[in-house]
Amino acid sequence: MSEQIRVKIKQLPTGVPGLDEILGGGLPEFSFNIIAGAPGCGKTTLAHQFIFANATVERPALYFTVMGEPALKMLRYQQQFTFFDAAKLNNAVRFVNLSQDLIDGGLQGVLSEISKQVEAANPSIVVVDSFRTVLRSEMHEGKEMAVQTFVQQLAMLLTSWEATTFLIGEYTDSEVRDNPVFTVADGLFWLFQQVDRNSVVRKMQIMKLRGQASVPGLHTFRITEAGLQAFSRTLGLLGQRKTFTKVRRLSTGITALDEMMGGGVPEGDSLLIAGSSGTGKSLIATQFLAAGLRVGEPGIAAVFEERPNEYAARASEFGLDLQTPIADGTLEVIYLRPLDLSVDEMMQEILDAVKRNGAKRLVIDSLAGFEMALAPAFRADFRESLYRMIFALTAIGITILSTLEMPELFTELSFSSYSISFLTDDIIRMRYVEVEGQLCQIIMVVKMRRGAHSREIRQYQITPDGIVIGERFRNYVDLITGIPKPLASLQSEEPSLGRKI
Amino acid sequence: MRTISTEVHERMMRSSDTPTTRELARRLLSHEEQQTSLEFADARAVSRVCDKLRRPLTTMVGAAGFRSLLMRALTLAKQESQELGSFQVKPDGSLEMSHSETGESDIVLVSHLVGLMDTFIGESLTLRLLNDAWPGLPDCELKFERDESK
Repeated sequence: MSEQIRVKIKQLPTGVPGLDEILGGGLPEFSFNIIAGAPGCGKTTLAHQFIFANATVERPALYFTVMGEPALKMLRYQQQFTFFDAAKLNNAVRFVNLSQDLIDGGLQGVLSEISKQVEAANPSIVVVDSFRTVLRSEMHEGKEMAVQTFVQQLAMLLTSWEATTFLIGEYTDSEVRDNPVFTVADGLFWLFQQVDRNSVVRKMQIMKLRGQASVPGLHTFRITEAGLQAFSRTLGLLGQRKTFTKVRRLSTGITALDEMMGGGVPEGDSLLIAGSSGTGKSLIATQFLAAGLRVGEPGIAAVFEERPNEYAARASEFGLDLQTPIADGTLEVIYLRPLDLSVDEMMQEILDAVKRNGAKRLVIDSLAGFEMALAPAFRADFRESLYRMIFALTAIGITILSTLEMPELFTELSFSSYSISFLTDDIIRMRYVEVEGQLCQIIMVVKMRRGAHSREIRQYQITPDGIVIGERFRNYVDLITGIPKPLASLQSEEPSLGRKI
Repeated sequence: MRTISTEVHERMMRSSDTPTTRELARRLLSHEEQQTSLEFADARAVSRVCDKLRRPLTTMVGAAGFRSLLMRALTLAKQESQELGSFQVKPDGSLEMSHSETGESDIVLVSHLVGLMDTFIGESLTLRLLNDAWPGLPDCELKFERDESK
């Protein structure tokens, strides 16, 4: 068949933010779909969002309720969602109860009433909630064929009447296999709640979708007063990566550090600042944001260990005014500590903030706080999730600075406790060293993926004006172990070493 | 001294019966009383009002759903009016009663029914159903009084 005469399948918006992307553009028109899952996982809400997003007076939605949740209660609760448009009730969105038809006439009674209503209303969308209870009424020995015939007839009826259909049912994972109902369906939406310790995470899977490529795998979703919001597991990974014809260097706000980095942070890079507690990682991050704001580059700070007002107050102690840019929107401080956060939600928050203020710089302070805010189920995949997030955000041209708290070992120097150094383009390490009975601080540029950088280990101090980097530590060795030795003492040992040899 | 039953009774009244629903009920019953069509000649106004609401509500929430609402409304109304003692809700959701004079008790019953509709399906949908059932009734778009203590 040539390209010109191929049937074009229109895609309908689901009304669920993020779900259209997961489905590959939207829901295929006239498709026959099943929303399956355990009670309380959001099946009815998903269907409601879809009907309120698409139903019109000319082509209404028919919502058939059977013996599941009483329609009276369902209407009461669903009205609490912001998408529930009362003006559409009884004209664009019509609720029809089939309980009596099921009691009186069984499957054929239900089919007959659905046919009658569909012919009268000419709906664009039909929902049967709960379809499982319809089938259960006749799901006993010797009736399998009757059930299968009913499903076939219903699918044929609704498709030929040009209705996009959702059948909602409480199914368990094991029931999905070898079930004739699922064979007939064009689309199968599987919703469930994953419990891990005290945390519950909602997930969905598009197990099947005829006619178009959906994103495989499990996607997280959240239910708020606005209804469902889905987060594709490939959020941000699709599409072109922004490339810079000429690599611009962004100032960190600390001249000496810029010099050590060969001119600053390459635009679009991901920079990791690793160091132990109190070494000034957050201060560098704040100075980096402030430097951007001074030259008209909006920023975003994702903070997990202090509230936005505390964050701005701490910056002001170093002479950095964040209140003004926060007030005018050029700086957004995202504070999330729900303990059941997903990386996808965090990423969506950041992407939304980028859309709002056109941010060029992003600070994540800190990765340890970020990990703690995640639901336990997501902590296991933290490294992979971080990879996705960094890739997605740098792809849109944002320069990311993340801070990472490291345990201070006095025998070795590690760069990252998450083994994530490969995820970052550039790494700066800060640490304490003991020199002549005093605790000093040193800073070094460990990695710069896109250019040469200083190999110096330099002393620095935290002052009321921010980080002040001093000279290179010249007269010591083993600085990176934290317990350096004076060079002179080694030189004096050399003759004796020579004698031993 | 206020008894517990008095307090419970008042709280129950607050849940669905308001001056606005009473006024609306009065107008619906008055409108039905004026209907002289042969079709409804034998039916009492309160029966006709409930029946007109039964049809769309049965479609929407099922026969059992409507019957539950009407039974609840009748239970609440009976606590206020002894005259409703003979009223019963039949299995099909229609009203059964022994006497035929319209009185204040009918208003109480319809008021509770409309109030329960407001509680469960919301003001917008309730008013839409009322407008559909009585398209000729002017000013049916009454706003429900909101009791913030609900």
